[in-house]
Amino acid sequence: MPDVLSYSLADFFYTDNPDVLSPPEDFLEWINHPRVRQCFSFFEQQLLAAPRTSTEILSNIDNKRRKIINLTSYNYLGLSSHPEVIQAAKEALDQYGLGASGAPLLSGTFDLHARFARMLADFKQKEDCLLYSSGLGGNMGAIQGILRKGDMFILDEKCHKSLVDGGTLSGAKMLFFEHNNPDSLAMMLEKSRGKRVMVAVEGVYSMDGDLVKLKDIVEVCDQYKAAIYIDEAHSTLMFGPNGRGVAEHFGLEHKMGVSFGTLSKSFGGVGGFVCSNADLISYLKCYSSPWNFSCASSPPVVAGLIKALEVATRDSSLRDKMWQNVAYFKKRLVDLKLDIGQTESQVIPIIIGSSGEKLMSFAWEIQKRGLFLQPVDFPAVPAESRRFRISVSSQLTQAEMDEALNIIEDVIAKGLKS
Amino acid sequence: MTKERVIEVIKNNIIENLDDLEVDDIDPQKSMKDYGANSLDMIEVVSCSMRELKIKIPRSELADIANIDHLADKFMDYVDK
Repeated sequence: MPDVLSYSLADFFYTDNPDVLSPPEDFLEWINHPRVRQCFSFFEQQLLAAPRTSTEILSNIDNKRRKIINLTSYNYLGLSSHPEVIQAAKEALDQYGLGASGAPLLSGTFDLHARFARMLADFKQKEDCLLYSSGLGGNMGAIQGILRKGDMFILDEKCHKSLVDGGTLSGAKMLFFEHNNPDSLAMMLEKSRGKRVMVAVEGVYSMDGDLVKLKDIVEVCDQYKAAIYIDEAHSTLMFGPNGRGVAEHFGLEHKMGVSFGTLSKSFGGVGGFVCSNADLISYLKCYSSPWNFSCASSPPVVAGLIKALEVATRDSSLRDKMWQNVAYFKKRLVDLKLDIGQTESQVIPIIIGSSGEKLMSFAWEIQKRGLFLQPVDFPAVPAESRRFRISVSSQLTQAEMDEALNIIEDVIAKGLKS
Repeated sequence: MTKERVIEVIKNNIIENLDDLEVDDIDPQKSMKDYGANSLDMIEVVSCSMRELKIKIPRSELADIANIDHLADKFMDYVDK
């Protein structure tokens, strides 16, 4: 295969291999090439301790244990290892054991699940809530449960794979509008007249860190009477006066037909949740497969999550600290003349450009210096804007931020100039 | 292989993947988007066409293709190579 680095995961989805148990032959040739293997070495690196801002990994690049500053985990508020959260999970482990041992409909609903779903519905100011054991499963299952063949599902082109997969599974026709462009959305809604329509947006777009232009989107959707589904995976607990998310930040919560959130990012656990009107939640319980055909979340995880919600909302101290850290990081990165795109959130890209080789050589050097900051390559982002993506956490200390920025300056800022 | 044949392959895959469309409706000077294709439909059409033509072009080289005619030109660079 000539020029292996010009190929990517986008090129091997379709296969001609007559043996269904074998991947495409050229995929194996590609992925086993030493240069491609080197790129893939950044994936699946093992964390050897909690995803705190200072932790330890087993570094794939040289198979060594390495103490690192962690700018990659989504532990935005540090809740995954908060002492109160850990204590709550430990106590629930003693009382309930490890697993739920059943799907929610039959035997997997514990008092903890019911309590947490009620807390989340109240928090999001919706009538009811459905808890999923996976974030991806929540988005996919809600879309698949709501839409049917003959319906129209209109998504921002930068929406997450879980929303796209939900659309595919539902059988609805999917149309994508240009990112955050209300005119493009109006064009798609015009094509959908006479059909049942739902529009999906995200609070924070996860590769660029920009926010949904919610006021404009709502205006267009109102005009066409289209329902809005908002995915607040990267914004719940961080945005809005009460941490309810980007819809609260814009004062438009009442316009959101469905509000989705994940429990694996700011909440520090795992799972997803969908809040909406009580009738729709009741319907989803019958038709959303990842809820009614999957084991419920582990009780100790749910107990930890209940405590995480309490800790994050008892005051604004955690998100205030996170925003202070975000402001500091952004200022220093701009001072270094790095391209951080249009970020408005705790997700900060450092856009390198089109060179996959530079991206990987910087990634290698950064990690050797003790910074866990993962490269994001095409096709996850456009080929001309390969990048690193910083996840800022409230846990970061001044010393950790300064050391991380020193490494970024030495490797990326100076590397891009040379 | 002629460019006409390549365009025919692409057109056939477009009508396979999009509703309410006939081969004669498709103008190669237009983009698949003009016929209501979303990005997943386009990936499907391009991949199925490449498979039929027995060619493989890195997806990163297809980012700037503006219409069906340009896609056929790109395919022609690889056909019979």
